Amino acid sequence: MTTFPLRIGTPDGLLYSGDVVRMVLRTITGDRAILANHIDFCTGIGMGEAHFVLEDGTVRRGACIGGMVTMQNGVCRILSTTWEWEEDIDKDRAQRARERAEEKLRKGDLSGKEAQVQEAKLKRALVRLSVKNH
Amino acid sequence: MAANMKAVKLRIKSVQNTMQITKAMQLVASSKLRKAKERADKCKPYAQELQQTLKDIANGYVGFQSVYAKKSNNDRHCYILVAGDRGMAGGYNSNVFKCLEARKGEGKDIVVLPVGKRAVDYATRRGYEILTTDFAQVEFIDVGDCFSISELLCSEFRKGSFGHIEMCHTEFISMLTQRPTIFPILPLHDIAEEYQDPEAVKKIGLTLYDPNPEEVFDIIVPEYLAGLIYAGICSSLASELAARRTAMDAATKNAGEMIDKLSLYYNRARQASITQEITEIVAGAEGV
Repeated sequence: MTTFPLRIGTPDGLLYSGDVVRMVLRTITGDRAILANHIDFCTGIGMGEAHFVLEDGTVRRGACIGGMVTMQNGVCRILSTTWEWEEDIDKDRAQRARERAEEKLRKGDLSGKEAQVQEAKLKRALVRLSVKNH
Repeated sequence: MAANMKAVKLRIKSVQNTMQITKAMQLVASSKLRKAKERADKCKPYAQELQQTLKDIANGYVGFQSVYAKKSNNDRHCYILVAGDRGMAGGYNSNVFKCLEARKGEGKDIVVLPVGKRAVDYATRRGYEILTTDFAQVEFIDVGDCFSISELLCSEFRKGSFGHIEMCHTEFISMLTQRPTIFPILPLHDIAEEYQDPEAVKKIGLTLYDPNPEEVFDIIVPEYLAGLIYAGICSSLASELAARRTAMDAATKNAGEMIDKLSLYYNRARQASITQEITEIVAGAEGV
């Protein structure tokens, strides 16, 4: 299979740099797979699971939230707000965060901004759990 | 002579106290620097990729429909000015301010978003319009704060409060070298002008934006802004500590030299007074 260079960066550093066969992630318009020789391309990243496949078939998964993905001159760059590898996600912590956010939203006495914050927390927790439970 | 000796002794004491303080500050700066440098080093590749990507986009994009991308007719500039919270860091703060002065030129109408206490003081003193002083403590700014800054800037930019955003900070090059720099961030048209890349011009208009450039820019620009601000603050913080460490190291050395000189002078004065006393006694004994 043809490979292409992929770079994943977050404010915490460059997390991955190497050749991959396929990159799948959730953009603002839905899930998208990128293969080698993709046209120059740019879009925003949504919230969801992302994974890429190496040439030997290894799959690496992560929770990818916010940021942008670009394909330029054959190089794919993912610059996300957060990226957590599947193995680094703390399942119990995500579960607790989920319960806390759900509890707060259920009470329903939050102002618009607080509700948004709690919803975002809930979404993040759900994404982490879905990656971990894969 | 005795009064003179007392004055010298007091002076030595006071220099010693100062030396203790500068030494302590140097040690504090060194230990903080290690952590700050690590953070700056981690963040650097992200910022580079971010800038490279946006440069490529700016060079290859001709539609310029999005408010973030098209050439701005509004000549008002907003500067994000990152300086330190404290002084005693050599020329660190004043170098950033000088850099801003040089770029701004004379008589221009500008808005400043100061980050760090010294930057706030400076902007107030010079009478610049200040966007917000919420970010006066540069040491405690994290990624979340950078997103708040970016949101604020984006909403003001969309409103048309200013037509250009530039970032003024200190680049951390090494422990001994830090360089104040200033570069354009928005609109993307400014970046394209700053870095003309002949290779990219050939491929104009070939990039696919999903679903369309305007929506994509609305999403990625705040991210891009926040990322660059965070990286800028990290490198500024490391620069500040490195500058302080160097300055305090020099101050400690100077104090040491001063104490040596003063001790020599004190000993000479003491010797002279003893010699004089002996001469007086001998002369007195002969006279009897």
